[in-house]
Amino acid sequence: MGREVSESCIDSLLTEMVSSYCNRFYANKPELAARRIEAIGYQVGHQLSERYTMERPRFSDHLEAIKFICKDFWSELFKKQIDNLKTNHRGTFVLQDNRFRWLARMSLDPTAEEGVPQDPAALAESKAAQAMSMYLYFPCGIIRGALSNLGIPCAVSADISNLPACEYPESYVLCVVMHACSLCSNGHCHGQL
Amino acid sequence: MIVCVAVVGHQSFTEADDALKLHHIVHCSLDVVDERVNNPKKSGPTLNETFLGLLYPTENYKVYGYLTNTKVKFILVTTDLDVRDVDVRNFFRRFHAAYVDAVSNPFHVPGKKITSRTFAERVSNIVKSFGLSST
Repeated sequence: MGREVSESCIDSLLTEMVSSYCNRFYANKPELAARRIEAIGYQVGHQLSERYTMERPRFSDHLEAIKFICKDFWSELFKKQIDNLKTNHRGTFVLQDNRFRWLARMSLDPTAEEGVPQDPAALAESKAAQAMSMYLYFPCGIIRGALSNLGIPCAVSADISNLPACEYPESYVLCVVMHACSLCSNGHCHGQL
Repeated sequence: MIVCVAVVGHQSFTEADDALKLHHIVHCSLDVVDERVNNPKKSGPTLNETFLGLLYPTENYKVYGYLTNTKVKFILVTTDLDVRDVDVRNFFRRFHAAYVDAVSNPFHVPGKKITSRTFAERVSNIVKSFGLSST
């Protein structure tokens, strides 16, 4: 498929992108940084969806397009398929990846000090979780861009959790929630979940 | 001989001689594309294909259509009378590859006309080799 780039380059680029937008361009304005990063992801997703749908027959309905995202598109980006897809049949889909590759080399370190009272530890952990969540805006943007290019405008958000009992103890479970407005029967919906 | 190749997304961009007449042909053929896509009973087994085939022959021209998953349409207008199906499919496949590369340019604004010279060169190469292979 042409030229390829090493994965560590992608990791470094993403880390630096989040760092630049959060600490330099929009320091102390995490919402603006998040919106900017998501917009970059949107454009990338738009372009990638053109490329990855090239040799394929056309999708017959929206579910086919979403399955494409879960299987082929996810494989191209993250080298694996989605592990679980759920829907409420009213326009909301939850995609679950049990071992999200782009966070594989990151660790949350909530145990900064030992013997610290509960509150500061919880605070540190939520700060770390918030920092971690900045890395999710880019993949969310990619998914939103790809879907909107396939004719499904939607709102995408993501959540991570660390399941110690799961097969890969050091991995993060990524849950992506997609709300496709066109599939929603609620006429007044504006992407609210 | 290929007279015109058009890429139609939400706006149309065409590369042609005798622009007005060909614009007219391309616009008419877009109606046929929409009709083909929206009437599944008529299309039958070709519904899910990207290649829509011969849209309709007019006067001296033949018009072929191709629809991508991202709802971008390619229209090919040719004056050749004996064009093989497989040649046109080949043409569209290579054209699609060139289009994807042009659109992947980070400086390209989606929805605007493609201004890449590389794309123009690739397309004219594909057009030239189309003429050669069909003889």
